[in-house]
Amino acid sequence: MNPGTQPVATLRGPATPHGAVRLTVESASYSYTPVGRKASAFSLEATTFQAHQRELIAVLGPNASGKSTLLRLLSGLVKPLSGRVQLDGHEVSQLEPRTRAQRIAVVHQESPLLFPMRVWEYVLLGRHPYGRTLRLETPADLDIVQQSLTLVAAAHLRDRWMGEISGGEKQRVVLARALAQQPLLLLLDEPTLHLDIAAQVELLRRLRRLAAEGRYTVIVVTHELNLAAEFADQVVLLHRGKPLRVGTPAEVYRRDLLQQVFATELDVETGADGLPRVRVRGRERFDAPQPGTA
Amino acid sequence: MATLAALMLAAPATAQSTREFFDEAGRRVVAPQPVRRIVSLAPSVTETLFALGVGDRVVGVTDFCDYPPEAARRARVGGPLNPSLEHIAALNPDVVVLAKTANRRETMDAISRLGIAAYGTDPRSVEQMLDSTLRLSRVVGAEERGQQLVAELRARLDALRQRLAGRRPKRILFLVWYEPLITVGYETFLFDAVRWAGGESVVKTSQEWPRLNLEEAIRLEPEYIVIAEMRAEGVERTAQDLRTRRGWRDMDAVRNNRFGVLDVTINRPGPRLVDAIERLARQLHPDAFAEANGKGWQGPGVAQEHSGPFLPLLHFPISLFHGGAAR
Amino acid sequence: MKPLTPRRLVLICGGLLVVLLAVVLLSLKLGAVPISITDLVMSLWNTAVHGAPLPSEYRLFIFELRLPRILLGILVGASLAVAGAGFQALLRNPLADPYVLGVSSGAALGAILSLVIATRATIATPVAAFAGAGATIAIVYLLGRRNGQIDSYTLLLAGIITASFLSAVIMFLMTTLTGRDLRGMAFWLMGDLSTPLPVEMKWLFIVAAVAVGFIYTTAADLNLLLTGEQEAVHLGVDVKRVKLVVYVSASLLTGLAVSVSGAIGYVGLVVPHIVRLLFGSDYRLLIPATAIGGAIAVVVADTLARIVVAPTELPVGAMTAMAGAPLFLYLLRRRLQ
Repeated sequence: MNPGTQPVATLRGPATPHGAVRLTVESASYSYTPVGRKASAFSLEATTFQAHQRELIAVLGPNASGKSTLLRLLSGLVKPLSGRVQLDGHEVSQLEPRTRAQRIAVVHQESPLLFPMRVWEYVLLGRHPYGRTLRLETPADLDIVQQSLTLVAAAHLRDRWMGEISGGEKQRVVLARALAQQPLLLLLDEPTLHLDIAAQVELLRRLRRLAAEGRYTVIVVTHELNLAAEFADQVVLLHRGKPLRVGTPAEVYRRDLLQQVFATELDVETGADGLPRVRVRGRERFDAPQPGTA
Repeated sequence: MATLAALMLAAPATAQSTREFFDEAGRRVVAPQPVRRIVSLAPSVTETLFALGVGDRVVGVTDFCDYPPEAARRARVGGPLNPSLEHIAALNPDVVVLAKTANRRETMDAISRLGIAAYGTDPRSVEQMLDSTLRLSRVVGAEERGQQLVAELRARLDALRQRLAGRRPKRILFLVWYEPLITVGYETFLFDAVRWAGGESVVKTSQEWPRLNLEEAIRLEPEYIVIAEMRAEGVERTAQDLRTRRGWRDMDAVRNNRFGVLDVTINRPGPRLVDAIERLARQLHPDAFAEANGKGWQGPGVAQEHSGPFLPLLHFPISLFHGGAAR
Repeated sequence: MKPLTPRRLVLICGGLLVVLLAVVLLSLKLGAVPISITDLVMSLWNTAVHGAPLPSEYRLFIFELRLPRILLGILVGASLAVAGAGFQALLRNPLADPYVLGVSSGAALGAILSLVIATRATIATPVAAFAGAGATIAIVYLLGRRNGQIDSYTLLLAGIITASFLSAVIMFLMTTLTGRDLRGMAFWLMGDLSTPLPVEMKWLFIVAAVAVGFIYTTAADLNLLLTGEQEAVHLGVDVKRVKLVVYVSASLLTGLAVSVSGAIGYVGLVVPHIVRLLFGSDYRLLIPATAIGGAIAVVVADTLARIVVAPTELPVGAMTAMAGAPLFLYLLRRRLQ
C-alpha cells in the first residue's frame, strides 16, 4: 500500500468524453478446482460492468480477491461458467486465438528472456497475430514497431538489448509490444508492482493518455488504492471472489467498504478535485520511558 | 601416400581365378587365387601367417602386430577395432584375414561390401586353433607348411599331455585383473589353454569376462593364482600388491606365493601359444618336468619383452558414461 | 542485427551452403589416397558425356567409401542440430540437447537387444534402434504431460529419469550378457558414420526434411514461446499444438540420427548456440542455418576423425566432443558477460 499522503499534481482537465461501450461483462462467473485440491483455486462470482472506449478501469482488490480470474475471463483465456464477456459484441472466449490477439493485448509480469533479444525484436513479436505461418515481417510491421516505441517514449531504446535496460524501461517496452498488437482492449496485470513511485505515476499517466488519444480501452488490475483513485474512470472492487462495488472512485471508495476489503483501518478523504484519497491509519504511540526503568 | 596411390594404379585389372571357402564365421568367402597380397587385422593372425611362411605376402597389419619383428615393418592400417577402410582398400589385398576375438563384425561386413574377400577366424580352444591354422593355410595357399606346423604343435601338445597324465589338475584362479576382480569363463581361449597346462579354473561360467566377488574367490580356495604378464617384475609387483590387500593376503595361494604366469602371447591364438602353455605347465607341475638327470626341462626360454596392449582389456565392454549417453 | 528479410535469409543460408560445399569437396579429397578434385571433376565429366568408365580408384574411394559417409554426416548433423534447437525452445532451457529426453538411450537399448538376439543380421541394428527410440518418445511424452498438454518442466524431468533408467539397463545388459559382438556397441555409442543403412539414404533424407519442415512451420511461434508461455498464448499461439509438433519432430530427427550413426554428441547442443551468436535467435533463420551448420560440423568432424591419427580411425563422437566441449565453455563465458 502506498502512503499516498503527498498530493500528486494532476493535469487533469474536464473528464474526457468516453466512446461507445466496448466491453460488456454481464454476470460473468468462473470457478476452477485443480485436481487433488478441495477448495477451488480460482473463483469469481457473477460480475457485471461495462467499459467504454477511451476509458481506464481499475480492478481493485487485495491478493486472492479474484483479480487474476477476472483478468483471465477478460482476456478470453477461459470461458465463463455463467454470463458473458463480450468485446464489441463478440464473446471473447470464443474468438480465434489469432483474432483475439489482434483485439486484446495483455501485459503481464514478463518472464526472463532465455536468449538475448533487442528491444525492437521484442516489440516486433507483437505483430505475430497479423502474420501467416511462414511470413516474414513487412516494412509496415517495422513502422508499427517504431510507432509503438514512440508512443511509450522508448524509441531511443530500440537497439538496446532487453537484458540491459532498467525495470521501468522494460515495462515501457512490454507496453509497446502490446500496442504493436493494435488492440482494442489493453489489459495490464499489476503493472506497477516493481516500479518506484515516479515510474508508477508516469505509467498510469501514459496509459490514460493512450486511452484518450488512441481510443483504447484500458483495464488495470492493481491493489494500489490511491493510484487507482487518481487515474481510473471506473473501479471494480473485488473481495474474496465477489464484486463488491462497481463505479467511479468517489462512489466506490467508502470507508466501510475499503476497510472490509483491505482488512485494515483507513480514512477516506475527498480532495478539492473531487477525487478520494485514502489515508492509512495504524501508527502506534509509545510513551517515553520513565527514568529509572530499563 | 604417393606409394599407395601408385600401388593402386598399378594393380592389374585382369580377371583372376578364384576359389571358394567357408570361413569360421560360416560365411562364404571367394578369394582370388593365388593369394599374393594379404592384410591381417589381428596380431594372432599375423603371427600365424608368418609361422606359415607367407609373411612376405602380408602387405598390411594393425598397429599392434609386433611379432615377429618383420611384421612391424609392414604398412599399418590402424587398430584391430577401428582400422581405416581406405588404407585397407588402398593396399589392394586379395584377402583380408580377421579374428572374431579382435575385430568387429561391422568391420568384416564393411570390407565385404567393398568387394574384398574377408576371411574370419574364430578359434575358441586350443584344438580349434590348430584347426583354424590349417584352414587358413589352405586359403593362403600354404597347405603343406600348414600341415607341417600343425603336426609339430600337436606333437608337442601330446607330449605335454603324456607328461601330465595321471596328475590331478591344479585348481587355479585366472586373474585378468584384480581391481575389479575379473576372471575368465569357459568359453574363452584362456580357459582352454589353462586346461592344457594342467590347471583348472575354479570359476566356471558362461560369461566371457565375469566379474567375481572377492568373497567367492576366497571361498573357492584356488591353489594357484595365474596372471597373464609379459615381464617377471610384473608378476612380482602384482604379488606384492596382493599381499597387502585385505582378503587377498589371507588366501592360501598368496601367502605361499603360488603364482603362475601365462605369457601375454597367450592372447594370440598362434603358434607361440604352445610355448606359453608349456611354460605354465612347468610352473604348475614342476615335478613332472624334473628329468632323470636332475636338470629341469629345457623348454623354450621365458618370453622376452613385448610391446602391445593387453588385448582382453580391449575386449572387455567399455563402461558407459553414466546418466545418459554421450553428450 | 537487422530485421529478418527474405534477402537476409537467402544470403545467410546461401553462404552457409557454400561453406558446406567447400567442406564436402575437402572431405572427398582427403584420406588414405588423396584425390585431386579437378581430376575427379574431369573424370565425371568424361563419364557423363562420353560414357567412359570411371576409374576404379574413384569408384571405390569416392562413391563407395567417402561420399556415403559425407552424405550420412550431412543428414545426421542437420537432424541433430535442428532437434537441439527445437528442444531448447520446447524445454525453455539453453542446455537442452537432443539426448536429454532419453531418445538416444532408448535407441541404444534397441541396438543392444538386436545385437544379442539377432547377432548375424547387423542390418537389423538401426531398425531396432529406431524402434527403441520410438518407444522412448512415447513413454516420455506420456510421463511429461500435465493437464493434457506437454509441460516443459515435467517433460524435462521425465526425460532425464527415463534416460538414467535406460542407461542403467544398458549397463546391466552389457556386463551380464555373453554376446561377443557387444564390443561393436561401444563404437556405436561413440558415433560411427560407416554403418550400413537398412533403407536407401534418400528415404532418410526425405523423412528428415519433412520433420524439419514441420518444425519450421512453428518457427515464428517458437520465437514467442521463448519469451514466455503466457505471453505466447496471449499473442495467439496455439501453444499445445506447437509443443506437440516440436516434440514429435525433434524426437523423430534425433531417433533417426541416432539409429543410423550412434550417439554423436555436442552437435545438437553447441551448433544452435553458435548460430545464435552469429545470426541472432530468430527461429525462422535459426532452423535452416543450424541445419546447414550441423551438417558442416559433422562432416568436418568425420573428416578429421579419418585423418588425424591415420590409419587409426577415431569415432566421430570423440571429435565432436573434443571440439564441442571447449567451444561450449567459451560460449558459456560469453553469455555470462
